[in-house]
Amino acid sequence: MKTNRMVSVIWHFIIFTTVVILIFPVVFSIGVSFKPLADAYNNVLNFIPFPLTMENYAKLFHTLPVVKIVFNTFIVASVVTTFKLITSFLAAYAFVYFDFKGKRILYFVLISTIFIPFTVTMIPNYLIVSELGLIDSVWGVILPQLADAMGIFLIHQSMRGIPFSLIEAARLDHISHGRVMKDIVLPLVRPSVTSAGIWFFITTWNEFVWPVLILKTVDNYTLPLALQMFISSEGGTDFTVAMAVSVITMIIPLALYLMFQRYIIGTFTSSGIK
Amino acid sequence: MELIRPVKTGFRVSQKAIARLLLFPSILLFSVFTFWPFLYTIYLSFFDWNMVSPKKKFVGFENYVHVLTDPNFLKIAVNTFLYIAILLVINFVVPYIFAFVIGIVLKKWTSFYKGSLFLPAFISLVVGSILFTWILNPVSGPVALIFGWLGWEMPVWNKAQGWVILVLSLITSWKVFGYNFVLLYASVNGISKEVIEAARLDNIPLWRIFFRIVLPMSSATGIYVLIMTIVQGLQYVFTPVKVITQGGPDYASSNLIYHSYHEAFVLFETGHSAALSVITMMIFILLLVLEFKFVERRVYYEN
Amino acid sequence: MKKLLPFILLTVFAFVLAACGSGEAVEKTEDGKIKIEYWHVNAETQGGQTVKKLVEEFNKQSDSVEVVPKYNPDMYKGLMQNLQAEMAAGKAPAVVQVGWSFLNYFSENFEYVSPQEVIEKHFPEDKNFLEKNFLPNILDLARNEEGELVGIPYSLSNPVLYINRDLLREAGLDENGPETWEDVREFAKVIKEKTGKYGFYFQEPADNWATQALLESNGAQFINDGKASFASEEGIEAYQLWADMVLEDESALHIGWDQGVQSFIDGNVAMVYTTIAQRSHIQNNAKFDVAAVKSPVWEGKEVKLPAGGAMLAITAQSEEEQKAAWEFLKFLYSVESIAEWTKGTGYVPPREGVADAEDGLKSFLDENEMMKPAIEQMDVMVPWASFPGEAGLQAEQLLIDVRDQILGGEVSVEEGLKRTQDQINELLE
Repeated sequence: MKTNRMVSVIWHFIIFTTVVILIFPVVFSIGVSFKPLADAYNNVLNFIPFPLTMENYAKLFHTLPVVKIVFNTFIVASVVTTFKLITSFLAAYAFVYFDFKGKRILYFVLISTIFIPFTVTMIPNYLIVSELGLIDSVWGVILPQLADAMGIFLIHQSMRGIPFSLIEAARLDHISHGRVMKDIVLPLVRPSVTSAGIWFFITTWNEFVWPVLILKTVDNYTLPLALQMFISSEGGTDFTVAMAVSVITMIIPLALYLMFQRYIIGTFTSSGIK
Repeated sequence: MELIRPVKTGFRVSQKAIARLLLFPSILLFSVFTFWPFLYTIYLSFFDWNMVSPKKKFVGFENYVHVLTDPNFLKIAVNTFLYIAILLVINFVVPYIFAFVIGIVLKKWTSFYKGSLFLPAFISLVVGSILFTWILNPVSGPVALIFGWLGWEMPVWNKAQGWVILVLSLITSWKVFGYNFVLLYASVNGISKEVIEAARLDNIPLWRIFFRIVLPMSSATGIYVLIMTIVQGLQYVFTPVKVITQGGPDYASSNLIYHSYHEAFVLFETGHSAALSVITMMIFILLLVLEFKFVERRVYYEN
Repeated sequence: MKKLLPFILLTVFAFVLAACGSGEAVEKTEDGKIKIEYWHVNAETQGGQTVKKLVEEFNKQSDSVEVVPKYNPDMYKGLMQNLQAEMAAGKAPAVVQVGWSFLNYFSENFEYVSPQEVIEKHFPEDKNFLEKNFLPNILDLARNEEGELVGIPYSLSNPVLYINRDLLREAGLDENGPETWEDVREFAKVIKEKTGKYGFYFQEPADNWATQALLESNGAQFINDGKASFASEEGIEAYQLWADMVLEDESALHIGWDQGVQSFIDGNVAMVYTTIAQRSHIQNNAKFDVAAVKSPVWEGKEVKLPAGGAMLAITAQSEEEQKAAWEFLKFLYSVESIAEWTKGTGYVPPREGVADAEDGLKSFLDENEMMKPAIEQMDVMVPWASFPGEAGLQAEQLLIDVRDQILGGEVSVEEGLKRTQDQINELLE
């Protein structure tokens, strides 16, 4: 087993280095958010500032209704995530356990939508949202994002891993589809539902191109838009305040993740994604 | 693929009706917010228009001709595949190997690795782009300073052909890597331990375990990550391109998605952008067909 | 699933509520004021607070109009994108900032009303307001190809040379900086040799504003009679100097805009040629002896500097809103508001009687020496070359593309500029 030890050491080295490279920017951004801007420019290598200053956060809270903005972002991210999961789960269930005409084509067409560039849907969706009078409202941001092909795909892949005999047996016992979904399928595909959920949440939480178009007043902003207020090519970017926004933006999904980590890791390790 | 045979139940609702009901929300949402805009785009691709002007001129296939004969089209298409190739290596191959190593080979520190590799996934790519503009400033960023001590000179990557694609891919990977890793890890970890232990006891080399057991048995998730990586190759790179280079220098960092954005929202050439989007879609649908035809067959499902 | 039901119902309910609350042509506030939108691009680092303050002050003193400001990220291009979507939906804000490079594109494609028209129709007492308060060469900046006044100049900037005096002294050079472009090249060379740092950075944003200043100051003309004409002998000569500094002397940096400015602020580049709008950013963060000097000249030639920034245009559709828009504009263009605006943004004041007025900028300018060169340069400001016609923005893009080709050493200055000029003229036909 000598070679094995060598192999382990080499792998530990490789993975550890990767971890350092991935984590460094995070540490750097947190450090910068506690520095005055002039220091960020002139003491580049001083990653962990001392003494640290709260002025960036003070400025941020002074300029923007941060609590309201966090709340808006939370509404958008959680509603979108919930709906995407529900619609994806139902659609995947239909695709896996039902047979109907044109099924393969329909599935293929739905999955192909992941390749449609967002530039294609942006303006037409804006027109719809505008027609509905939802401009400058978080609901306008939410509405076009309630279904997701990647979600259908992931959950579909995972459902195919469940032995059909299980479902068949249940159906022969006259158990309703609702209960089959809830009691048999959902627990088995929970890892992929969870990981799709995490991804939807983080992506929506950080999204900016679409909200920039829809939201107008500061009170309706989401966090990525707040970030944009400190970025300007012409007047210079207020890097340190921008990083303070970034820290706040990062901290909430991270806290949620840590809170539910035991549950999340639990779902992964107990059954694994198939 | 086997399907469930219709089960005779006491319910009066037919199975088909249930299927329709389950699919209804998705299909409705997709029709309104994806298919309709897409059809509209196909329609627009035959017009010379900028969305606001009252003049909308029918030009037939002229937009397509323009896009395909644009001297930069080839460069941008090649860039697109370069991005995909690089991202496939960093975001698919490497995390797969990492998932295998952390899940099966290593015994210590694994939960530390899992947690910290996932951390950057929480940060947006806009922030990542601004952050890396600083960190990788080739004259005065921290990396350049450290390189300076070692006597190396950092290339001005955002103005250099080739380098720019590599660095923008790395920035994108920084965010995406951890998520792909966690997905693959979960999948690899779900493989029955007995099979692998048995193989190890038989002194089968690790690489063979990886190819013969792990890869096939986790392929259902693998295929998902593969496709997602390709999609990310297009959509996620958009943000660093927009924030850092705007497609430059001289289209060296542009890709099909960014270029369609550039045509539509920088040059306001809606027709060109629409035609380009349609062409992009066709290329990728072709890829997807190939995937369904050749790869899907080999994927392992438990049925 | 059951737990989610109330959630779903709530969402549907919210949609219905939101959908009912809109649809009127002219929006009013609860106390009967007309609500109009003002679209701007001013991030927090570039006068965002000032916009907020001015709008608040205006709303407080007006009993008929309520202004709602909307910030548009990504500068004037970003604003144009949002405006495009809004207009496609058949709506429009009342007042928008239009960047100078979009002047022709805006006037050809968007619906707007000339400010003078609104004034004459509804406010005869203000008939001479524009004529009286603006220098003719400044007002001309806002005229389109046909000579019609599209908007009113609001944010004005011009390029200056920022210098790091410490580095200049260290290299044994005149600490007052170079006066001519030929000197700039010499200075940069000496700095590179003596200090090992970069001598110079010439801004490289996604436009050709500073390039125009460089070329036109040497006697070239960007656009002549509706055609591109920058590839003249003078144009090539001027561009050559820049390319030589980057490629031959290697004393100038070829890099993105933010990284270039960043490297100046942290002391790795000795001189930077960029907009006065960066003044407060540079002044507040540089820890060395920093100064701004007037745009360099070409030996024996006349300096010509394109105006950067934006005008305010009225895009309000109904007469009622147009009236409200002028009321707001008149407030924004008062001496006090413009003084406030200049302090907050670092732009130069567009109207007369602000720089030396006691209630204007007098004390501010005394405190901010770096602002002075920009104000002294106001009489040599010319319109930002904006290519006419549908292909105007594409023409602009071609010039950006060739910049990367030339500075990347892929093509010679002469060949690159001539080819681009031909391409643009073909497009414009």
